[in-house]
Amino acid sequence: MVKETLTEQIALSEVEAKSEKQQPKQARWLTWAAENGIFVFTAILVVFAVVFIDGFASLINIADVLHRAAPLGIVAVGMTFVVISGNYLDLSVVAQIATSAVIFVAVSNEYNIPIAMLAALVAALFYGVVNGVAVGYFKANAVIVTLSTTYIGLGLLRFFSGGSIFFGPPDGPIATFGSSKIGPVPYSAIVLVIMAILLQVLLTRTNFGFLVRSFGVNENATRLGGSNTGLVIIGAFVVTAVAAMIAGFVMAAFSNTAVSNDGLGYEFRALAAIIVGGTSVFGGRGSVLRTLLGVIFVSVLTNILVLSGIGFGYQQVALGLLIVLAVSIDALARKVSQR
Amino acid sequence: MTQTMQLGKVADQSFVGRVRTTLARRTEGRGVALLTVILIGVAFFEPLVFTAYQVSLGRIALIGIVALGLTAVILMGELDLSVASTLALSGVVMALIPDIWVGILAALATGLVVGLINAFFVAVVGINSFIATLGSLFALRGIAFVLSDEAPVSLENKDAGIAFGMPLVGPITPRIIFFILVFIAIQLFVSRVRSGREFFAVGGNRQAAYDAGIPVKRRIFTGFMISGFVSALAGVINTLERTTADPTAGSTVLLASFAAAIIGGNYLKGGRGSIVGTLIGAASLGILQVALTLSGVQVPIQQIFIGGILLLAVTTDPANLRAVLGSVKSLRVGRAKPQVPGSGS
Repeated sequence: MVKETLTEQIALSEVEAKSEKQQPKQARWLTWAAENGIFVFTAILVVFAVVFIDGFASLINIADVLHRAAPLGIVAVGMTFVVISGNYLDLSVVAQIATSAVIFVAVSNEYNIPIAMLAALVAALFYGVVNGVAVGYFKANAVIVTLSTTYIGLGLLRFFSGGSIFFGPPDGPIATFGSSKIGPVPYSAIVLVIMAILLQVLLTRTNFGFLVRSFGVNENATRLGGSNTGLVIIGAFVVTAVAAMIAGFVMAAFSNTAVSNDGLGYEFRALAAIIVGGTSVFGGRGSVLRTLLGVIFVSVLTNILVLSGIGFGYQQVALGLLIVLAVSIDALARKVSQR
Repeated sequence: MTQTMQLGKVADQSFVGRVRTTLARRTEGRGVALLTVILIGVAFFEPLVFTAYQVSLGRIALIGIVALGLTAVILMGELDLSVASTLALSGVVMALIPDIWVGILAALATGLVVGLINAFFVAVVGINSFIATLGSLFALRGIAFVLSDEAPVSLENKDAGIAFGMPLVGPITPRIIFFILVFIAIQLFVSRVRSGREFFAVGGNRQAAYDAGIPVKRRIFTGFMISGFVSALAGVINTLERTTADPTAGSTVLLASFAAAIIGGNYLKGGRGSIVGTLIGAASLGILQVALTLSGVQVPIQQIFIGGILLLAVTTDPANLRAVLGSVKSLRVGRAKPQVPGSGS
């Protein structure tokens, strides 16, 4: 096993994928559901919403769904890198979004927007590097590391902002950006699409993306292949942090305000979108475009629940079950294909 | 002459060696170090903590009881992120039932069922426990919100709650007694009972444990049910003391209990750790929190302290430090000579 090179490892995993064709019916169904289920489920959900839910297909509602999907999607496409590298997730996006939103609004009120963006970028890089060094070089558990950086970050933010709400100037460029749209499509959704395309290229067409994926498949093989795995992990966390920063900008622009609990719940919904999209929490498999589809699924589902007057509690239950269900299908498909 | 010298040397070495092996076997080193630092710091800056030991004990019990249950799961190399939500949900369940005893039983049963469900997804379906319990963390909080109509539920029988919060002997409140009981029970379970000792084997090398005939799946079920039950117990105690059940309760407990268990030297990949270590971790965090509160430090700063300690604890595990040394060494050696761990298999 040790002698296998990186390319051989990846080739092996492709052979495994191909040999799935000779499996019993149940196994084939499960692997198919784990790989492609999202296309069918999203289609069914959208058709269901259009037919049965009053007011779903209206232009105002679609614009609203896109508005809410944009920050979620931007976080999720970034976090896909951490998930594919086999490090479960980055819980600290909660703190990252809030930090970036507050810095963006507060600093741009005081100075100007470029300086605010630069300051937020410094904060995002700091998050990414701290998480990445702890996980990549110290080999610490990503869940616990990002849990602790969440609390450190939120603590710092609450201390410095005093927990107060920051308002942007009512007619400033931030507010204009947040409320502008082309047809029903808000600018923030366009930012999401651009981010998704850029990150998909980064994941599939660059050396860095290749290393992130191969690290998720086999950490040892990647290291023995001669690459600095610690740097790869730092890179994955930095990508996530920069995406969360942009999500913070978009959120701040949408409401023209920023407060220290802006990001609450985003880590969880982003993970739901990533996993439902078919990116494996076991690492190595997945894509940014799949995450985009997952974001559509989660946003439409949330919108249906809201339009039907179902409360916050039930939404949490639904998302929790969704994550467990999607991961179960993935896990069972892995089990039967290994038999 | 030379012989005696050698003999003396050997004897000396064996004594040092024995001390060294005993020390190496213990995992509480970092916990003891942190506790010492905190105690010295507190003695200098905020000696009030020692006079107000009643408060400190209560705080230690609050953090510690959840951390103790968590330790049982961590010993097997799994993680239970849902403890905080279990605490909140069982409190809500208890407050919703008018009769207090039925309520307590229902709350404890809730904890067991949650543990059962978590263990099912981890052991039978084969999901990573971080993800499975993250899912239940949010799903359970959602259920707590649904059941309570998103508002705190007050206890029907307030007198029982108030009576429960009263100290029995000196500064000892029932919460502290429960904490000590849970500590003794779990300590005896993992050190004296066979199935408890097998937790270490399951965490150390799951395949080897399975080959040795240990029913691995059943142990995982036991572990998650312990952690679910203990966090439900913490929820019951919280609800009794405050006479209300808050569906958002426990969000601070999550961080503190993980920090306590990890500082205590429980290795996250399983197989190494001790209940005593968790106790030391909980003690140091509890004393630190009380000291910070007494010196008027704001809550955000306390969060930074505890988050920082958790980050420090999770990165300074001996195995992690070895990993860092390894990568530093390989950086110096360069890319040309990657280290090949072992040659077989």
